[in-house]
Amino acid sequence: MLKGFNFQVHKIHFFLGKVQLCLCLSNESKKMGKGGKSHEETKSGEDENMAAWLVGLNTLKIQPFKLPPLGPHDARVRMKAVGICGSDVHYLKTMRCADFVVKEPMVIGHECAGIIEEVGSEVKNLVPGDRVALEPGISCWRCDLCKDGRYNLCPEMKFFATPPVHGSLAHQVVHPADLCFKLPDNVSLEEGAMCEPLSVGVHACRRANIGPETNVLVMGAGPIGLVTMMAARAFGAPRIVIVDVDDNRLSVAKNLGADGIVKVSTDMQDVAEEVERICKAMGGGVDVSFDCAGFNKTMSTALSATRAGGKVCLVGMGHHEMTVPLTPAATREVDVIGIFRYRNTWPLCIEFLRSGKIDVKPLITHRFGFSQKEVEEAFETSAGGGSAIKVMFNL
Amino acid sequence: MGKGGKSHQEGEENMAAWLVGLNTLKIQPFKLPPLGPHDVRVRMKAVGICGSDVHFLKTLRLADFVVKEPMVIGHECAGIIEEIGSEVKNLVPGDRVALEPGIGCWRCDLCKEGRYNICPDMKFFATPPVHGSLARQVVHPADLCFKLPDNLSLEEGAMCEPLSVAVHACRRANIGPETNVLVMGAGPIGLVTLLAARAFGAPRIVVVDVDDYRLSVANNLGADGVVKVSTNMQDIPEEVERICEVMGAVGVHVTFDCAGFNKTMSTALSATRAGGRVCLVGLGHNEMTVPLTPAAAREVDIIGIFRYKNTWPLCIELLRSGKIDVKPLITHRFGFSQKEVEEAFETSARGGNAIKVMFNL
Repeated sequence: MLKGFNFQVHKIHFFLGKVQLCLCLSNESKKMGKGGKSHEETKSGEDENMAAWLVGLNTLKIQPFKLPPLGPHDARVRMKAVGICGSDVHYLKTMRCADFVVKEPMVIGHECAGIIEEVGSEVKNLVPGDRVALEPGISCWRCDLCKDGRYNLCPEMKFFATPPVHGSLAHQVVHPADLCFKLPDNVSLEEGAMCEPLSVGVHACRRANIGPETNVLVMGAGPIGLVTMMAARAFGAPRIVIVDVDDNRLSVAKNLGADGIVKVSTDMQDVAEEVERICKAMGGGVDVSFDCAGFNKTMSTALSATRAGGKVCLVGMGHHEMTVPLTPAATREVDVIGIFRYRNTWPLCIEFLRSGKIDVKPLITHRFGFSQKEVEEAFETSAGGGSAIKVMFNL
Repeated sequence: MGKGGKSHQEGEENMAAWLVGLNTLKIQPFKLPPLGPHDVRVRMKAVGICGSDVHFLKTLRLADFVVKEPMVIGHECAGIIEEIGSEVKNLVPGDRVALEPGIGCWRCDLCKEGRYNICPDMKFFATPPVHGSLARQVVHPADLCFKLPDNLSLEEGAMCEPLSVAVHACRRANIGPETNVLVMGAGPIGLVTLLAARAFGAPRIVVVDVDDYRLSVANNLGADGVVKVSTNMQDIPEEVERICEVMGAVGVHVTFDCAGFNKTMSTALSATRAGGRVCLVGLGHNEMTVPLTPAAAREVDIIGIFRYKNTWPLCIELLRSGKIDVKPLITHRFGFSQKEVEEAFETSARGGNAIKVMFNL
């Protein structure tokens, strides 16, 4: 796999400093490119490709990142906008996320958009200069799940910044052309990068069957709760109530169109009273709840607040094991639907943004450039939460 | 009001098995309500004991339902029509029928949507405060009495009730020729679920239990594999490995947790493949501690099952055609006397080799 190969190169590069590995591949990359600025050509005149590497606990370093050769179905993309995700922060702070462990230095970042620099010989849908949003994950396309269309669950998934696969907070990346989606003129590159978190909301709305008759409850008004709210509205949800512990986030939610906001606590004892206030704010019953936080408290509240026959989507990844009132929910046929990333969501996200049905621009609260100092500051800002919703790099 | 048949006034006093206090059943008179135009009066012939009946006997409650006053027990039943209301067109006295216990309100959104099993105003035999059907006679809506074909016994008619739970679960879980099924628990509900899953076309079914005898019953009833498990949470990874080995390479598409405990749910969530479903059928504990997030991260959904809806016609057809044979599940039979009622419930409560305990009235 190209990405794996790239990693091997970097392992050597990392230890040997400036030693440039002379690869016979350098000739091949000239052969494979259909046009546009070849990676080899830029090396003499311009900067080496640089990326933000997670080199150790809480330590990011901008260092060279050698790109793999351009395959016939690949595109080389100059990154312009990269957002920071909670998972990126989690890797920075703990070097792990669920079963994925950062064992060696890894380029961080996966919410991205940029401009095509070069396309492989078989690429027909894109040309250099095209502005594209990138879908991060490359699945195997051979297993049952992939062939069934549920490629987001592919056990061989290679995903930007999920170890050991390098991410995309870099000057350039090489990526399959079919995972690069052209942006219309009226959609900015930052909005392109926002397609990634928005995709989580869209995928959840599809799995939960959101439509003109589903009243929606969103637990958590962080970036994911907010894009889920926006997606639910775009899918036609007539009434959306959002809850959070934080007043500022609730007011952001209100400004973004929530029909009702409810302040909640982190105390399990308060579930019953909060369910009452939620149902009151909703008016009718709650048909679908999205738990965008993923804690015992939020799941328990969601299960209790959702009406009989409804659904609770577990979107947020809070705790591994959860203690929740599952049986009372089951006896009311409230189903629990799992959400993992997304599949086939970029075209719809782009259309929502193009038509204005969804406006993600208010979610981008902080912007940073691509320098060592700014990268560190950006991640601290994102980790700080509070008034920071989406922190965006402009490269 | 009756259109014909033996009037209630002429015959013996109606008697029923009443739950009068903790662990106390008494056969006492049970006065029937008047026969409405859409009702029928049924002479009970076969009544099975359900785990919920035993639970009410032993604790006087079940979830939020509390037995506050004496209540007739029992709900898995079949009998013979004695009298029909003036508007009843589909049944005549003498018809052999299986009864669907629950009367929905037919006015709320859920009822109108067809999800009447979760109607908040459901009136269900032996769920307080509604009286049950372990009685000589009951009055019931005619549309909830389903005629039995000649080749089905009244006992099989009574078995339609537990079988309905399984049929409803198989529908909600979308069981078909491509879904490998895992059943947690080889009690009465696990076993009817095994039978229903097969009838729905499941190609491979593995059943697990802690009890060797119940596993051998499951084997005899057609399980493709049985796995003995423990009640120890520590054993989960090893059990999941054994289950997946027995199931085969493709893995588990749908798991039915017919027990409903932390251990069984946790095992189910771990054993089911990505994109699969776990049905929570058994009602073990109120609050459960389970690895929800890893399951959600593999999009393993949890589907809740509560009783059933629109299952009697299909159950009757599956029994009539022989696609399902429930007769082996009826392990103990009792008559309708004070002593036998007490003995029957004790037998059912003991579990072990007692699967379905049936009254013949």
